[in-house]
Amino acid sequence: MRLATVWYFLAEGWRSARRNVSLISLGTIAASLFVLGALALILMNLNHVSQLLQARIEIRAFLEDGLLPEGVAAIRAQIQATDGVAQVTFVSKDEGLRRLRGQLGEHAGILDVVGENPLPDAFDVRVEDADRTAQVAARISRIPGVLGVNYGQGFTEKLLATMRLVGVAGAVVAALFVAAVVFIVGNTIRLTVISRAREIEVMKLVGATDWFIRWPFLVEGMVLGLVGAAISGLLLFAGYNLAVRYITGLAPFIPVITAPEPVAALCVALLLMGVLMGAVAGGVFVKRYLRV
Amino acid sequence: MPRAIEVYQVNSIFQELREVMMLIRLYSVSKVYPNGAVGLLNVDTYIRQGEFVFLVGPSGAGKTTFMNLLTRQVLPTQGQVIVDGRNVVRMRPSEVPYLRRAVRMIFQDYKLLPNKTAYENVAFALRVTEANPRQVRTRVMESLELVGLACKARAYPGELSGGEQQRVSIARAIVGDPTILLADEPTGNLDLDTSWGIMELLLRINKRGTTVIMATHNRSIVNGMMRRVIELDGGKIVRDDERGAYRREAGHGMVLPG
Ligand SMILES: Nc1ncnc2c1ncn2[C@@H]1O[C@H](COP(=O)(O)OP(=O)(O)O)[C@@H](O)[C@H]1O
Ligand SMILES: [Mg+2]
Repeated sequence: MRLATVWYFLAEGWRSARRNVSLISLGTIAASLFVLGALALILMNLNHVSQLLQARIEIRAFLEDGLLPEGVAAIRAQIQATDGVAQVTFVSKDEGLRRLRGQLGEHAGILDVVGENPLPDAFDVRVEDADRTAQVAARISRIPGVLGVNYGQGFTEKLLATMRLVGVAGAVVAALFVAAVVFIVGNTIRLTVISRAREIEVMKLVGATDWFIRWPFLVEGMVLGLVGAAISGLLLFAGYNLAVRYITGLAPFIPVITAPEPVAALCVALLLMGVLMGAVAGGVFVKRYLRV
Repeated sequence: MPRAIEVYQVNSIFQELREVMMLIRLYSVSKVYPNGAVGLLNVDTYIRQGEFVFLVGPSGAGKTTFMNLLTRQVLPTQGQVIVDGRNVVRMRPSEVPYLRRAVRMIFQDYKLLPNKTAYENVAFALRVTEANPRQVRTRVMESLELVGLACKARAYPGELSGGEQQRVSIARAIVGDPTILLADEPTGNLDLDTSWGIMELLLRINKRGTTVIMATHNRSIVNGMMRRVIELDGGKIVRDDERGAYRREAGHGMVLPG
């Protein structure tokens, strides 16, 4: 392809994008992409939280009192051999008490009232797959010498189920918004096609190839998608930083993503998606209107 | 008799040469539109390289259909169309643009782009075929000069007379150096003097080697030129005279002259 031809495509596409775009269509494109980006950010944060939680989810298996060291070693070996177990750490009753004190913080005085250490020896068990925590815990609880297990029964499953639901709902909504953007861009380009019907007719008559006719419309779509994505990306970046500051001020224990890199990467992805959706819209709609 | 064999051979060689010289060949071509209207009916004909042919006949006779078949703006419902060695019916859609670079059309309503100057209208036709951008200016000015409108290069179609607009459209048609020029009633909207000017121009283009096919209702022009006339009626060829008049004269029709 000649350089002059590429230049012609860019100039034509840019010119008709400028002529045919309205505040409403650009606003809708930007808003749709903004919602898409916001959804992606929410999912990214949920994923972040779940990863932190999954790293933290442990089963604590309490041991019967008065076991011999050989007995403890045997139980450890059995737990280790259980399907789905990643790592086993021994927590002596003293270690357990120290941790409990740390967790209770200013209320630690209550332990002094109890006097003697009430905690048994225990194993902290990390599982390979958070989804199977309950299953693994049930198996461990059946090992002789294990007094009982504790793993925040019920909570983990609920959290994971919620996340899966949010993920599916997000994907559905995202697909709808992608369709909306493609439709709006396509409709704007349809206006160009109609206003240029005569020019297209002449182009065909004098032997322009279909691709030559279609390229300017593809460029127009890509320009619309790019500009819409740029607007939404800027808003998203600024909005997210504000939201993060608000949340960390209000509830510092919620582990949100604060690093700028993943958010910036999302904005770049949004730009690429905008361009891609615009190109698809430009290609599909014009092809439909070009048939001789 | 060796002589007879030689004559036979010479004849068949002539026959083959004639076939090769045919720029356009229609083999029992019919076009019936989806609504049932008959565009062409079982038409068999040929047109040689460099010919100037008039296509005459009443409105609805099939003249426009004939031309649109040559540029594949319509496909025949039956038969084959060969243009410059290419089978128009069987060619892939991606080859159509290249067919249309070789076969250019001009129209009664000129089909110029109103928001482009004369120069831009002509240059546009060259650019969309991705011609060498260094040559665009020279070639556009050459063809505007040929039609006598170099001085009006900057004018918009709205600022030009009908005859001038038709000249711009001719410049646009010939700027890519087509093999064939199809003119569909090019003088339909013009007065007689202007029409003769356009005719003179088409003849000049024909002399440069471009085959010209012209559909027209203009009796005095056809009669004044004495060129090949193909007369259509109801989609059929009813007459094909090498040096014909617009209408066959009474008592002259059935017997071939000469
Ligand atoms: N696009 C079309 N759809 C349906 N019928 C058509 C179409 N174009 C032409 N026809 C019909 O085909 C016949 C020949 O038309 P046309 O080739 O335009 O004749 P001419 O150019 O000699 O006036 C007419 O009966 C006309 O009504
Ligand atoms: Mg006609």
